[in-house]
Amino acid sequence: MPAIKLRVNGREAAAEVDERTLLSTFLREQLDLTGTHVGCDTSQCGACTVDIDGITAKSCAMFAWQADGAAITTIEGLADGDKLHPMQAAFREHHGLQCGFCTPGMVMTAVDFAKRNPDPSDDEIRHALEGNICRCTGYHFIVDAIRTGAKAMRG
Amino acid sequence: MSKISEKNLIGESVRRREDFRFLTGRGRYIDDIKLDGMAHAAMLRSPHAHADITKIDASAASEIEGVLCVFTGAEWKAAGYGTIPTKSAVRKFKDGSDLKEPPHHAIAIDRVRHVGEIVAVVVAETRDIAKEALDAIEVYYAPLPAVTGLKQAAAEGAPQVWDLAPGNVCLDFGLGNEEAQKKAFAEADHIVTLDLVNNRVTAVPIEPRGAVAGYDAASENFTLWNSSQNIHANRDTIAEAALKIDKSKLHHLAPDVGGGFGAKNGVYPEPILICHAARLIGRPVKWINDRAESFLSDTHGRDQVSTVQLALDKDGQFRGLRTETLGNLGAYCGTVGPFTPTGGSSRTQGGPYKFDAIYYTAKAIFTNTAPLDPYRGAGRPEASYQIDRIIDYAADVLGFDADELRRKNLVPKAMLPMKTPMGLDVDCGDFPEVYKRTMAMTDRAGYAKRKADSEARGMKRGFGVCAYLECTGGGPKEHAVVNFRDDGKVGLAVGSHSTGMGHETAFSQLLAGHLWLAIDDVVFTQGDTDATPLGGGHGGSRGMEVGGSAVLQTSRAVVAKGKEIAAHLFETTSDKIEFEDGSFFEPGTNHTMTIRDVIDASNDPDKLPDGVQPGCLNIGTTFERGIISIPNGSHAAEVEVDPETGVVKATHYWVVDDFGTIINPLLADGQVMGGVAQGIGQALLEEIVYDETGQLLTGSLMDYAMPRADDIPPMHVGYFEDAPTAKNLLGVKGAGEAGCVGAPPAIVNAVCDALKGYGVKHIDMPLTPEKVWRAIRAAQA
Amino acid sequence: MYPFDVKIPTDLAAARKAFEDADDGLFLAGGQTLIPVMKQRLAMPGTVIALERISDLAGIKAGGSEITIGAMTRHAAVAADPDIAKAIPALAKLAGGIGDPQVRNRGTIGGSLANNDPAADYPAAALGLGATIITDKREIAVDQFFKGMFETALDAGEIITAVRFPMPECAAYVKLQHPATRFAMVGVMVAKVGSTVRVAVTGAAPSVFRATEMEAALTLKFEPNALDGITIAADGLNNDIHASREYRAHLIGVLARRAAQEAIS
Repeated sequence: MPAIKLRVNGREAAAEVDERTLLSTFLREQLDLTGTHVGCDTSQCGACTVDIDGITAKSCAMFAWQADGAAITTIEGLADGDKLHPMQAAFREHHGLQCGFCTPGMVMTAVDFAKRNPDPSDDEIRHALEGNICRCTGYHFIVDAIRTGAKAMRG
Repeated sequence: MSKISEKNLIGESVRRREDFRFLTGRGRYIDDIKLDGMAHAAMLRSPHAHADITKIDASAASEIEGVLCVFTGAEWKAAGYGTIPTKSAVRKFKDGSDLKEPPHHAIAIDRVRHVGEIVAVVVAETRDIAKEALDAIEVYYAPLPAVTGLKQAAAEGAPQVWDLAPGNVCLDFGLGNEEAQKKAFAEADHIVTLDLVNNRVTAVPIEPRGAVAGYDAASENFTLWNSSQNIHANRDTIAEAALKIDKSKLHHLAPDVGGGFGAKNGVYPEPILICHAARLIGRPVKWINDRAESFLSDTHGRDQVSTVQLALDKDGQFRGLRTETLGNLGAYCGTVGPFTPTGGSSRTQGGPYKFDAIYYTAKAIFTNTAPLDPYRGAGRPEASYQIDRIIDYAADVLGFDADELRRKNLVPKAMLPMKTPMGLDVDCGDFPEVYKRTMAMTDRAGYAKRKADSEARGMKRGFGVCAYLECTGGGPKEHAVVNFRDDGKVGLAVGSHSTGMGHETAFSQLLAGHLWLAIDDVVFTQGDTDATPLGGGHGGSRGMEVGGSAVLQTSRAVVAKGKEIAAHLFETTSDKIEFEDGSFFEPGTNHTMTIRDVIDASNDPDKLPDGVQPGCLNIGTTFERGIISIPNGSHAAEVEVDPETGVVKATHYWVVDDFGTIINPLLADGQVMGGVAQGIGQALLEEIVYDETGQLLTGSLMDYAMPRADDIPPMHVGYFEDAPTAKNLLGVKGAGEAGCVGAPPAIVNAVCDALKGYGVKHIDMPLTPEKVWRAIRAAQA
Repeated sequence: MYPFDVKIPTDLAAARKAFEDADDGLFLAGGQTLIPVMKQRLAMPGTVIALERISDLAGIKAGGSEITIGAMTRHAAVAADPDIAKAIPALAKLAGGIGDPQVRNRGTIGGSLANNDPAADYPAAALGLGATIITDKREIAVDQFFKGMFETALDAGEIITAVRFPMPECAAYVKLQHPATRFAMVGVMVAKVGSTVRVAVTGAAPSVFRATEMEAALTLKFEPNALDGITIAADGLNNDIHASREYRAHLIGVLARRAAQEAIS
């Protein structure tokens, strides 16, 4: 069983993991960070998206041991206490979520995208969401939210 | 309470209260539940569409370390459990005989009838062990001929899914006046016939289904947490019909539910099976579906083939409509299953258009596929597709202008209220006005330029419209109870259930707005059979219509009781008391007290009239809907088609809906847009495909094409609010399903409009690139 | 998933040794195909040998008339690289259209080529641009590399270390994406490298292939209309619920013309 050490949302975590343990399973079951959701088996839905060393990845398509030494941010690590991250706040303001299940992955993707594209067009936003499926919203308000969130992030 | 709201909150786009927890990863969904001692169940599912089970050897699986128990249909049958009944509201054949309802056990007994049907259950210490142990179970099958397609199943000599349903017919159905329809057809100048396929799709809530069951041996009580949108009705079925226990012995809860769209409405086998498992091993048991299992075992929707006939006069006046439908049920009667293609698709036949007569007839057909049950709209999208598709088709083949045809035939406002030929009570609305407003939104002036731009790039642009008529449904009763707590908060529990619609906000908004309380002080509870004596869950766009009305009714009861308390303290009678701006007062006097004062008084025996008990403001009421409401509206879509590849891109979308009173416009917009996206998905991308042997070919998100952000256009949504209905307390007409009722015909009409120049008359959904390419080729050949 | 061992070598020699020692070893690059496939139990390696900690396997070097991309270079890095954007914009565009952003952040060029998925984009880039596949043992000209569905010229245990692309005079990649996976239903890379025209087609057949008749026509005249009248036989092309072989054959023609047009634009 590989032993791993990593930082998750700024906190050190050390654990022994089964070789088969996916990063999403590790976060959910061993660290109780259940905000990272699993909506499919084939890595299409994107609900499990987390930030690993500054880039997003689908945590269901990574083994936990691959994250050894990494710094990970999950949806639980975005807000500052009760103060939402600007992207989270924009999702709330624009009704960019309904059932909330795809939302953690959607927000993590949006934050990463906005960091790289501070002033995106709507087409760029829609293209950036290729790896995240939402069944509730029809995406329109998610696009609005990301446009606003990106603006707030660039200050 | 911290503060009193300053205004009544109806019509305000209040931001959602549930969002903070969802946005910070603190939502609590079914797979987030972890109980001490919890074991994990996995389901062994049939690889055969139709086969006799000759033998199951689970001995090797039982031996695996960490496996706690394995059981099969034989044990299930021996334990004496009951079957899962259908609650279809239509139960009789046209000749008066009963619908054919086969026994639906939670686990296959002796024979499997669709791929994915459960044949054995493993419970183990971990999910991985349970899954691995499935491989060690040996099941011996004797395959039987299978049938999956509707027309094949209805044909003579087709393999029989059930002996008790000859010809695979579960139910036949007719609604309307067939003689009058035939007369109208005989008198009409034109009769246009169109065969339509309403493609089989599935809801794909991003959260897969799952449940956790616990059993307390001392009390013999079960606790079942279930990713369900309908816990009260399903408790009754699971307890009384399947487990054969009193319903008081089953505490049924739904945590945050990650989308439902109808697919989490019915009673499924797995939660029942894990209740049994929990009792067997004396520990809580969790089961979570994989996505692959979800495609096999979630109920599917639509899957109807219809022949639609429209009779019209030479001036374009509609005279009669006749629709003959075959509806796929899958291998069992779902919870509502047989109702969808029969009653469900019948009532809105003809849409918002005026007809002399309509006749609808349908057969519900068994096949060796997963059961079908409501999917957002459940029958109304099919009806809407039929009428609005044949209007464009008729316009094309007869040389009418489709826009003119619609305007000419929409039921004028002066005809309302009316009873439609299908018996629907349409009390209010203004269909021509709603249609006009939609068209006004669509930037028709800019269309010619956009079309020219498309042509310059070798593309074809088209515009399509649908004027839809909807009707709501779902359980007619809902309960709302308030509880003024010691900590100053007010508890509100409602038996309806949000799977994303935002009840926590909208219902709290109604209560807070009516009582002039701070919305943040409302503590909302849903999804708990102990919290309300009854509940209708979610389905049929009933949330605001029935649930919202229950909240308002309870709020009004609180105010009435508050007036009694104030009257007692003011030494007058309650008819003299008024309630405004959060205060109870007696006009013409200086007698006034805030609702906070009244709440305090309600808990103080010294301040209450004789015979009135402390806590008297804690009131629950049940609202019962009389007649269902009639949402209506018009959709318009613009598409661009690449004629060389057949790729369709929806570029623009506009909707005006008449949902009566709009409680929270932002949430209503979200419902419309989400529904439209599902409708566009059905029109362009989505299809559940079985091969002829019954194997599912679209068993994952690698083959079932879900709409993504770049598949969906920006949307413009408007409301016609001039016709609130008197059928419920709020004047609302359900908003939840309308989006996917209007979108498929609007999109298909737009694509057919784009391809008119090629002579393309119709393409069946989904309009995949290849189908569009083939249609162009065929039309030109 | 079935149980397996994990090895995480930090140099190529250790990776080779791990493979030799393993019973049924499999290299893990970006994992965007392998891990989902293992979850579905369609791959059952005895040992997973992760290549991600081997130094010097990732990175992009531009020099002279060539660009060399380390095997463990992620798609996103290729898509964003300024040298590639300048020298082979078609390659940057292709990489930027693989899967989705998260997949592009993890998936690697070496992994994609070694896997040789019939619908993957990178095989079209390698074959269309006439790349050279560099392994820990040798260099393989791309025309000798792809051997059939999920098959390559790689020997057991052989590891791709880099891919060398010549800088073309012009090139373009156009694909029609699969509606569910965003893989290529059909993708065509058209390139003119020196005086040689190459047309590589992915998604259409069990393995990426060159459309030689199109290449001949474009060699005579590098214009889209040079392809008029050239049809691709549907026989042997992929046939599934998303696209029939006839439709795929048709798409090859359409997309090749579009790629040729884009290449000269």
